Amino acid sequence: MSSPAANGHLDHHHDHTTSTGIPNKKLLWWAFLASDCMFFGALISSHLVYRLNPPPGNAVPTQIFDIELTSFSTFILLMSSLLMALAVNAIQKGNVKSTRTMLLGTIFFGCIFLGGQVFEFTHFVADKHMTLSNSIFGSTFYTLTGTHGTHVAIGVLLLGMMYVRTFKPTHGGGLGRNFLHLLAFAVAAGVAFLFFVPGLLEVIEGESLRAMLSHDAKPLILGAIACAALVWFARTSDPTVEFGEKNAIDVEAIGLYWHFVDIVWIIIFTAVYLLEYL
Amino acid sequence: MAEVIAQSGFTGKQTAQPATTFSLFPRPTAKTGIVSWLTTVDHKKIGMLYGGFAILFFLIGGIEALMIRTQLMVPNNRFISAQLYSELFTMHGTTMIFLAVMPLNAAFFNLLIPIQVGARDVAFPRLNSFSLWVWVVGAILLNVGWISHFVPSWNFGGAPDIGWFGYAPLTSKSFTPDLSTDFWVLGIQVLGISSIVASLNFIVTIINLRAPGLTMMRLPVFTWMALVTSFLLVLALPAIAIALIMVMFDRNFGTNFFEVSGGGQPILWQHLFWVFGHPEVYILILPPMGYVSEILPTFARKPLFGYPIVVFSGVAIGFIGFGVWSHHMFTTGLGTVATAAFALATMAIAVPTGVKVFNWIGTLWGGRIVTRVPMMFALGFIWMFMMGGLSGIMHSAAPADAQQQDSYFVIAHFHYVLIGGATFALLAAIHFWFPKFFGRMVPEFWGKVSFWVIFVGFNATFFPMHFLGLNGMPRRTWTYDSNMGWNEGNLFATYGAYLLGLGIFTYFAVLVWSYFKGEKCGNDPWDARTLEWSIPSPPPEHNFAAIPTVHARDAWWYEKTHKAEIAQEKAAHIKAEESHGGIHMPDQSWYPLFAAIGLLVGGYNFAQLHHPVTMFGQQVLASHLPLAITGLGLMVASCYLWALEGPGGYHLHIDAEGKVTESRGDHH
Amino acid sequence: MSAPTAPALAAGHHEPSKFHFYIQIAMILAVITGIEVVLIYLPIVKWLVVTTLIVLSTVKFMFVIFYFMHLRWDKVFCTILFFIGLVLAGFTMFALMKLFASDAGKPLTAAALDFARTTLG
Repeated sequence: MSSPAANGHLDHHHDHTTSTGIPNKKLLWWAFLASDCMFFGALISSHLVYRLNPPPGNAVPTQIFDIELTSFSTFILLMSSLLMALAVNAIQKGNVKSTRTMLLGTIFFGCIFLGGQVFEFTHFVADKHMTLSNSIFGSTFYTLTGTHGTHVAIGVLLLGMMYVRTFKPTHGGGLGRNFLHLLAFAVAAGVAFLFFVPGLLEVIEGESLRAMLSHDAKPLILGAIACAALVWFARTSDPTVEFGEKNAIDVEAIGLYWHFVDIVWIIIFTAVYLLEYL
Repeated sequence: MAEVIAQSGFTGKQTAQPATTFSLFPRPTAKTGIVSWLTTVDHKKIGMLYGGFAILFFLIGGIEALMIRTQLMVPNNRFISAQLYSELFTMHGTTMIFLAVMPLNAAFFNLLIPIQVGARDVAFPRLNSFSLWVWVVGAILLNVGWISHFVPSWNFGGAPDIGWFGYAPLTSKSFTPDLSTDFWVLGIQVLGISSIVASLNFIVTIINLRAPGLTMMRLPVFTWMALVTSFLLVLALPAIAIALIMVMFDRNFGTNFFEVSGGGQPILWQHLFWVFGHPEVYILILPPMGYVSEILPTFARKPLFGYPIVVFSGVAIGFIGFGVWSHHMFTTGLGTVATAAFALATMAIAVPTGVKVFNWIGTLWGGRIVTRVPMMFALGFIWMFMMGGLSGIMHSAAPADAQQQDSYFVIAHFHYVLIGGATFALLAAIHFWFPKFFGRMVPEFWGKVSFWVIFVGFNATFFPMHFLGLNGMPRRTWTYDSNMGWNEGNLFATYGAYLLGLGIFTYFAVLVWSYFKGEKCGNDPWDARTLEWSIPSPPPEHNFAAIPTVHARDAWWYEKTHKAEIAQEKAAHIKAEESHGGIHMPDQSWYPLFAAIGLLVGGYNFAQLHHPVTMFGQQVLASHLPLAITGLGLMVASCYLWALEGPGGYHLHIDAEGKVTESRGDHH
Repeated sequence: MSAPTAPALAAGHHEPSKFHFYIQIAMILAVITGIEVVLIYLPIVKWLVVTTLIVLSTVKFMFVIFYFMHLRWDKVFCTILFFIGLVLAGFTMFALMKLFASDAGKPLTAAALDFARTTLG
């Protein structure tokens, strides 16, 4: 019979080479996520502990937060989670093209979230004068949300690596091209969340489009070139790739990480932002 | 054929695909020489490396202790300065916990777990190698400060001197401005990464790679204890990781986590540290309980008494252990309710611990005791650990602890459980499994000599400390006046320490001799009960000629008593595996080592973040940040190439005479 | 929703696609988020708002882990494994909050500090 790997007939829920039927990678990731629960638990606890008896002179969150932006960010991250689930769904059916689209979608929304964070932090420091060091709220807030943001950024990098991986040619070699493809991705994503998205948010908040474009001209041009390169790499890649349903476990693993980062944000949004308004 | 594709295709390995992968250079294949050790993914070699480094640091930690004891030998001594004394007690604790006992346990996890579960290696062999080399990086970062004492221009401020528990606000920049604390923070952080990664690997190995028929309740007790310990590590280390990040941020970025003037509370450090620190002591003692649970049945010539309850007690100890951390903080003013709650929980933990002790006694009862060296250390363990447990119960009563806290009574308590407990069990384990991994026996006579010298020396050192503590002698003070009533106790303890040192030296000298000249032995010199004794000594690379089918607890004992049945099964398994392409073995790799080197460069430079980079007296860079980023980049690149390289693998074929041949390039 | 999968899928059998199901879940999550934001501005007694927020967050949390992260259809051990970490983190958080919220956990006021330094010290 033909290889099950090609037809969408692998059992993605049961691996009979293991004692429990759970694939090794899946078990590893769930154990890691249990550990990460303690990691964020300690961080969130510390933040909340310092909200119990705020010292005089502490930053006042309700005067600093922009809850509309944060709600929008929450919605964005939830949508990225959806696209991630759809990416896993697609690769489990062996649909590489759809997987790529969904991965890119996840990355796109992830970059919007990160850009929102960059914008938020920049504004809190520049306009609200809250820094890491001038209040206890600043210390705990930036460390907690910054750690979460770092997790998101790592997730974007992993997703980019997975995206580039889907182009691996069957005939071997291709390492150099893979590196360049990943480099293009990293530049595009970096420019997106460090300059493009914050810049757009500035424009929404009232800055003139012309000012934003001239202000960030160099990185934006670099980002545009990187995006063009990404399109070029995608268009000129070998049509037969060494990637398919058999790699679903790896996409699923990244998916678990990405969803976890999302649920941590669900908790942070409630405990750090929403509860302050009561 | 299709079945094989279906089997391995699931896990994403390259199957009927071309063998070429994204590789920068060919994979290392050397089986001997330095490259084989640097790139090994073989759990046995990795175990040896952990063990070798651990023993080295155990001896270094011992020298640190002897220097401490020499300073305290007589009142008003000036053998060393107060500053050096602080560095010594900090490093003695840090070294013994993180660089001796933990890696020794890691060595046994690596050496034994795959064989005891009937596998050929751990679930993620390259990740295992990564854990090892990252551990080495952590060890380097912690000890690099010593260089300052010999080469003053390398201005690290000496070794860390803030205690192994690094309390805030002593760790703040205003109280300890030099780099020693930064290296301590990063060293422990890196060691945490190593332990978490290794533990994840072992959790998956124990749960998912068991041989057919090996249910969880047929696992050796050691493997169970390793599983619980691994869970403790992955769940406890994050708390200290966060706490260390906070210290690092306070020192480098001006945050206020423990800075009172900025609204911080130093007590938060204590809480977060001990949320990790208490499970840590169970991490140290559960594997030793596992060794003892294997050794006692072997030398009592009967199975472990009450296996299910011993396993369950181990799990209970691990679980309750997360709820007692503030018993290290009884004197910090927690309030009545909190103090009572933690005291109660601490007393509760004594129950499963006591249950284990009774089960060990039950194992001995009615057995035919064979007093070989491992048994003597194991018996010593039961007695000495129990004594440590009794002083522990005294601590759990908060009012009594108010007197005992920060005195030598605490030192007596934890050395009884850590030396009398963990170390005795480790010494028993080394003796017990030495023949398995080196194929040679250790001479009984000298083993027994070292046991008695260690036993007497240990008790002479630490028993007086109970009284020194109750008579008011505080911890961590470099000297004392002659009219305190502590003179005789300290002198006696120091003599005991030298005797203990002599015993330890004898023990390891004998081992070295045995490595070269010990009497050769077969696969089962002790007539033992678990699967590792079923394979040759030393074990071949592939561990088992045929993956065993397990029928009962104490699998090897069953095999020895059902030889015909087992022989048939083995023949069938060998045939099946050969028809699938042979014994599949994982490939070696450079990337775990490279990634660890990246982490070393990154960590070393991140610790000195705000300091300028100077070479030969000239400033080269304004800060270490670019170098730190380079290190991080190296690590990320190595991990990426590691992922692209893929698991790889090759096959072994064993012919009828037992000769092993390798084949590469066919489908995996 | 599709039934829990059979132990081994025979060749040619496709699982019904979860595509539309995931979209529905995402819509529910978005709506819940919207409700949360509106809720904090409503003039309702504080404890009720806090409880509702916590409940809603928990609901979102559970949707993501059981559906997006697939726990609903995976072997139950994965759920147990994750919940060990989650419950332990929750317990530790609860204990820390209780310790710091207690009277003994309050940082000293400036007046109390002065008193300690001058009168007691």
